[in-house]
Amino acid sequence: MEKKYGVYVCKGCGINDAVDVERLANVATKDMKMPSCKTHDFLCGPEGVQLIKDDIAKEGVNTIIIAACSPRVKYEEFDFPGTITERVNIREFVAWSQPPKTEDTQNLASDYLMMSITKAQKVDLPQPNILEGISSTILVIGGGITGMTAALDAANAGSKVVLIEKESQLGGFVNKLYKKIPTSEFKEPLIIDTDIDKMVKQVEGHSNIKVYKSAKLEKTDGQPGLYDVTISANGASETIKIGAIVMATGWKPYDASKIDHLGYGKFKNVVTNIEFEELAKKGNGKILRPSDGKEAKRVAFIQCAGQRDPNHLPYCSSMCCVTSLKQAGYVRQNPDAVAMIFYIDIRTPGRLELYYKEAQNNPGIMLTKADVKTVSEAGNGNLYVEAENTLLGEKIKAEADLVVLATGIVPTTKESQEYQDGLTQAASKGDEAKKAYLESTPKPEFILNLSYRQGPEIPSLEGAYGFADSNFICFQYETRRTGIYAAGAVHQPMNMMEAQQDAAGAAFKAIQCLDHISKGIAVHPRAWDETFPDPLLIRCTACKRCTEECPFGAIDEDEKGIPYYKVNRCRRCGTCMGACPERIVAFKDYSVDIIGSMVKAIDVPEEGFRIVAFTCENDAYPALDTAGINRKNIDPSVRFIPLRCLGGMNLVWVADALSRGIDGVLLLGCKFGENYQCHFVKGSELAEYRLGKVGETLNRLQLESERVQMLQVSISDSDKLPGLINEFVEKVKEIGPNPFKGF
Amino acid sequence: MAEQVISPDLNFVKDIIASGGDTLKKCFQCATCTVVCNATPNNRPFPRKEMIYAQWGLKDKLISSPDVWLCHNCNDCTKYCPRGARPGDVLSTMRQKFIQENAMPSIMGKVVTQPKMTLIALAIPLVLFLLVLGLTGHLRTPEGQIVYSKFFPIPYIEAVFMSAVGLAGIAYLASLYRFWNSMSKGNNQPYTKGIVPAFIETLIEFAKHSRFAKCGPNADRRIVHMLVFYGFVGLLITTIWVTVYYYAPKINTPIALSDPLKWVANISAASLLIGGVLLALNKMKDKGFVSKSSTFDWIFAIMILLLCITGILTELIRLAGIATLAYPIYFIHLLFVFYTIVFFPYSKLSHMGYRALAITYSKMTNRDIQI
Repeated sequence: MEKKYGVYVCKGCGINDAVDVERLANVATKDMKMPSCKTHDFLCGPEGVQLIKDDIAKEGVNTIIIAACSPRVKYEEFDFPGTITERVNIREFVAWSQPPKTEDTQNLASDYLMMSITKAQKVDLPQPNILEGISSTILVIGGGITGMTAALDAANAGSKVVLIEKESQLGGFVNKLYKKIPTSEFKEPLIIDTDIDKMVKQVEGHSNIKVYKSAKLEKTDGQPGLYDVTISANGASETIKIGAIVMATGWKPYDASKIDHLGYGKFKNVVTNIEFEELAKKGNGKILRPSDGKEAKRVAFIQCAGQRDPNHLPYCSSMCCVTSLKQAGYVRQNPDAVAMIFYIDIRTPGRLELYYKEAQNNPGIMLTKADVKTVSEAGNGNLYVEAENTLLGEKIKAEADLVVLATGIVPTTKESQEYQDGLTQAASKGDEAKKAYLESTPKPEFILNLSYRQGPEIPSLEGAYGFADSNFICFQYETRRTGIYAAGAVHQPMNMMEAQQDAAGAAFKAIQCLDHISKGIAVHPRAWDETFPDPLLIRCTACKRCTEECPFGAIDEDEKGIPYYKVNRCRRCGTCMGACPERIVAFKDYSVDIIGSMVKAIDVPEEGFRIVAFTCENDAYPALDTAGINRKNIDPSVRFIPLRCLGGMNLVWVADALSRGIDGVLLLGCKFGENYQCHFVKGSELAEYRLGKVGETLNRLQLESERVQMLQVSISDSDKLPGLINEFVEKVKEIGPNPFKGF
Repeated sequence: MAEQVISPDLNFVKDIIASGGDTLKKCFQCATCTVVCNATPNNRPFPRKEMIYAQWGLKDKLISSPDVWLCHNCNDCTKYCPRGARPGDVLSTMRQKFIQENAMPSIMGKVVTQPKMTLIALAIPLVLFLLVLGLTGHLRTPEGQIVYSKFFPIPYIEAVFMSAVGLAGIAYLASLYRFWNSMSKGNNQPYTKGIVPAFIETLIEFAKHSRFAKCGPNADRRIVHMLVFYGFVGLLITTIWVTVYYYAPKINTPIALSDPLKWVANISAASLLIGGVLLALNKMKDKGFVSKSSTFDWIFAIMILLLCITGILTELIRLAGIATLAYPIYFIHLLFVFYTIVFFPYSKLSHMGYRALAITYSKMTNRDIQI
């Protein structure tokens, strides 16, 4: 495409008051040799937009540089399909955060304009990469309440669904339940039939759903839209094409025998909440205790059994409080029976609070906060529950006919994650350790059996305790494997009602994923992005950094160790671009060269300071915009360059900047660690890791390492961010000007 | 603190709920009640713990608790309860239950405390009086000037009432002893003060109604309670006075209006009447929050009013000289007198003794508040 440039400078929103727009236009036409630069009072208005559209239609302009507001706003107005459009943020970054009409302000605006024109000169128009033979079938793994809900929701929305269940019948845990909690109103009766049979019938009879029972996923090969999934069922194996996957494999109850002090396994009449359901189901509501078959009339429920406890499950399983309240309702079907509930806190979030209130009104449901210390024998099969710090007194001892332990949820992904983590750790110690590990450790059941270079399952995540979770703040349904959506109790601890909502969300995310893939755009979160990584493999040294660092396992390797991209797995974050020491990874509008050229486009005067700040587009950039909206002043020596993710940060840019006489480099990434906020999981963390090696470069240049610094910024830090940036500038000024200036 | 063995009594929970504490189960133990209560001691305060004991049906802990009786029912707790659990009403229901529970003989506890048994309770003196009057041939309207002792001779009254009151008194003392025992054993707290000084302090406090004054929103209830209290005290004095007149100076009824005895009697009756009316009005007043008086409380208020009104009518009709009306009214009045003083250990009135002991105990164990 031969580029025909059009530069437009908006004068509205205070820009004209802050900068000399005519001088700015001259920078475009004279310094950057642009054929034209038009100014307008109100560029995003109908007239202004028409001005650009006319140029496109009449003049054949196809590369548009708009110096106006932040690209985070007015993106609908400034959307010109088939063109390269670059936005220059001279409103938030210049007019709103700098004193008006000073030389510094003018220079800042002109630098931003030059940087963007330079970028536009380097950018190519992206062509979407649409792969052939996309399947739109959704695979649902797990035929419990979550899986069946996801299958029905997707099928009712018109998708073909394949549902696999490892047991011989559908229904999952609900099959074991005697009754369930009503989902609409929490009035008597507080326990209702599960009606799971009706749902099973619906699923099995749905024309869009194909069900495999007693089935296992042997292998998941390929990428979203193009998965080759091998299912083994009833001794036969079958490979089918799948588009996206909803993982609803649920949970296992925590092994209660590990909780020593509560007597499980030692006393017959100590049962788990799941076993209690089975007892109630067997007795059709009558609770006949295991030891002697006598009806249990005093039932003690111990909440958080092996939960919220660093020695067992450190988290709250969220469903056990309401489950015990429901089960207390089973006990109370006998009007003379009492249910005693010993809890740490009753946690019944949302509308379930109403359920708690109703249950509490039952005269025979007795509740107290308590630290249960032991369960001991009281004779005749009865048990003593001894507790401290209760609402009834410091130490109490209550006699019960039956004790129910409210044990928690262990995600089905936990074992395989632990196994894989152990394997990685062993492998890092050498082949022998790896071999020993493989021999000594029993291999747990895998779920997905992905043929990904990064491993066969959803990778473990710090703070997710084995759940197939992701960055839950922004993207609830995303796992770190594009096209695979976790739902229900494998995703997070949740109750049946929440699991059904989660299932609906995951089903529709799977549909959305396939829609994006069919258009050749990124699935998520850059859901508009038509670019994709296009490495110059001829220069690849097979160092494997990209395959290892890709947060989404998008890159596999051939037998020689040369990476190849499964583009539908890619989220276009550019982490591979930052990882590559050969700098061969490039996107049409985002490459080491493009960013490097922008750095070089900054005018570095001999007097005065210049700082370049590589800025995370997802958190730091909006925080800076907000700071601009609030008219927070930022030192005019700083130039912000947005990065898709700080994981794309390549150290060569630091070297480029410093060798050109720029006095300091700032990296603005997002928060990392347990509560990370990175859209791409580890970008900011990787950037910091790479920055650890920058000292070498600086030493080579004989520069102070304090000239380069990284800050962790969250999107809400707009109030303190300008202060932090200005502090850094002051520090650089103290160090003094870069000695390379003028070379 | 020693370990306590807990055994929930579901029937007790159901009983409290059925007898006026229907909101008991709403309590979620936030302890707002304990914070707003002015009558609660700082160590082991109430009524938060009483609420959960009751939710768990721990009757034994409650029946031996002095705290249930330290409450003066100002209902500040009920007003501020965020869950509408009405602790004031629940505690009041508990007191009613424990009067019944401690009653001797226990059958009387059931007859007097249960609203549906009220008529049976009134039937006891009715039958007794009819028997006495019938057998002695007095069941008729006497001739001439209205002198009530012509209808129901004083020796008969004394014989009936003194024996009944004597029995009731013994029963009451036994009930109180039972309560004291369970309280001192159940709580097992060290004494820092002797029983005699503590009891004297309690009596002085009663005389001044100073604990009532501590309950903020109770200023008007204090006056009402004082009117009823001193009304009763005055009438007790006059009753003894009349007996003294009868035996010593041999002054017979009717006693002249100019006699100081009559002054005390009439003032006391007026005090009781005004107090009784205000008590009933107070119960009906909109306090800005829901609080229900139990039927037990209402029956007591009505009985006091009936006792008072029939008493005053007895005097007025006698002065008016309407014999056909005077004697029947007198007869009815005697029924209420009997109800009030013989059933004293089983009615609401008996709270006086329980409360006195509870306050004495709290003073002895250094759990009292600054009055």
